[in-house]
Amino acid sequence: MPLFSGLGLVKLFGRVVAVDRVDLTIEPGEIVGLIGPNGAGKSTLVNLITGLEHPTEGRLEFAGHALAGLPPPVIARLGIARTFQIAQPFRNMTVRQNVAVPALFRADPAPDVRAALRDADVVLDTVGLGPKRDLPARALTTPDLRRLELAKALALHPRLMLLDEVMAGLTPAEVDQAMSLLREVHARGIALLVIEHVLRAVMGLCRRVIVLHHGRKIAEGAPAQVTADAAVIQAYLGARSLPSTP
Amino acid sequence: MTAGGGRVWAGAGRAVFAATAVFALIFPLLAGTYYVRLATGIYMFGLLASAWNLIGGYTGYPDFGGAAYLGIGAYTTGILMVRAHTPFGAALGAGCLLAAVVAVLMGSLLLRLRGHYFAIATLGFLLVLQQLAANLDITGGGSGMNLPVASTFTTFYYWMLGALVLAVAAGWALPRVRVGYALAAIRENQDAAQVLGITPLPFKIIAYAGNALLFGAAGGIYAYWFTFIDPPTVFNVDFTIQAVVMTLFGGPGTAAGPVVGAVILKSLDTVLTNRSVFFHNIFFGALVCVLVIFAPRGVAEIARTRGSLLRAVRAELGASRL
Repeated sequence: MPLFSGLGLVKLFGRVVAVDRVDLTIEPGEIVGLIGPNGAGKSTLVNLITGLEHPTEGRLEFAGHALAGLPPPVIARLGIARTFQIAQPFRNMTVRQNVAVPALFRADPAPDVRAALRDADVVLDTVGLGPKRDLPARALTTPDLRRLELAKALALHPRLMLLDEVMAGLTPAEVDQAMSLLREVHARGIALLVIEHVLRAVMGLCRRVIVLHHGRKIAEGAPAQVTADAAVIQAYLGARSLPSTP
Repeated sequence: MTAGGGRVWAGAGRAVFAATAVFALIFPLLAGTYYVRLATGIYMFGLLASAWNLIGGYTGYPDFGGAAYLGIGAYTTGILMVRAHTPFGAALGAGCLLAAVVAVLMGSLLLRLRGHYFAIATLGFLLVLQQLAANLDITGGGSGMNLPVASTFTTFYYWMLGALVLAVAAGWALPRVRVGYALAAIRENQDAAQVLGITPLPFKIIAYAGNALLFGAAGGIYAYWFTFIDPPTVFNVDFTIQAVVMTLFGGPGTAAGPVVGAVILKSLDTVLTNRSVFFHNIFFGALVCVLVIFAPRGVAEIARTRGSLLRAVRAELGASRL
């Protein structure tokens, strides 16, 4: 049985079809890539899964629970964590306090603040933010903010993590670091849905890739197979080959 | 700073704290009635500011209806003492409780709103209660209500001091407990808080009810102190506004900020009022503008991050010219 399944998902904003009859399943411990040009509906799909938006049509199921109509905190406590495309730190709290928040409010919460802060320290060492734990989050650089997003998601103890463009704007070296970090996360048995423009990362991490275009799923399969797909090439370039990314 | 330095500072802090506590306790024995009254007034505004800080500072919800709960506390205390001959302590307790209960009910509606909408709605609620009090029989309507006269004024000093200590303790404890983390996360970014497992409404209601309970306490003590209450004096938005200004001045989201704000501004206010009533209004209006523009997180924050108010003003003016 899949860990997560979305069937026939439709999201309308007025007369705009943001997501159009999309099916999506994720097996336990799997890494699935989700790619597509800007405005393809990728972030809307993540919002549907995490309860920030409600689907106009379709069914969402996670580990035997129907997600339709559940508020975001309940979905989070079921074990779905996400990062935001634009980092959403608690700016005036320290890095450590930021990560203590999910530790205090997940399904198996830390018993008290002290324990939550200890949990946070462990997670921060994993993502490499240990030395910056006492800085206010507003003082972090963009790559560090991405690490913080990831640390907060990890501290929720999720079974599925939705990563909304965690690599956008990173240098090639930083992308490599992020990829090895995601492999480490995956090795803990957490399933990942990786939404990326950085195709190198998607191709390197995922066995299965889904391509969205104008809200519709236009291809699904192994990375090599998908990148050779005529419809995908057409969607990205209107030309013959996929862009080679840094 | 070295660990040894930290210990010295913590020790010094504790000594100052203990000295302040002892001084506050024996103050009525040392000072004349005028100064005891003055101190009681300062404590009252310290209490209001600390209460507002729970919802406005820690939670980031700009409440303007705090005086609604001050009125509820005042009228409950008054009605119970006058009509049921309840002792003051019990009447005050009932007033605090009723204020908190009403806050839970109103909060579960109003706290779904954000930003300006919340501010306006709470102000509306205050005006509704003021009209209600002016038109009910049990409150004595527009002609107000007289309370029994206490035997000694010092009573109020200690009641107000006790309530203030409670309020400051709440502000001190909040950032150290689970609820405080929820409130801070909600203040900083409610959407991000939700996807990390926080259901915002119950936590906001806790902060709002705490704020209401303390405003209620201030109202009850105020009513017995002044022995006369009527709708415009207790359901008075000026109480809320002063609490807001003092909190912003001292530093919202800190335990000491609201008290520091109350002590400084109330003392200034007393000095200025003695000189000119008009001038003191102008001063406070201008102060609000300056604070909101240049120091939205309090004077303490400026001192910590940018050096001085003057430099902050210069930086702000320089930036806006670009």
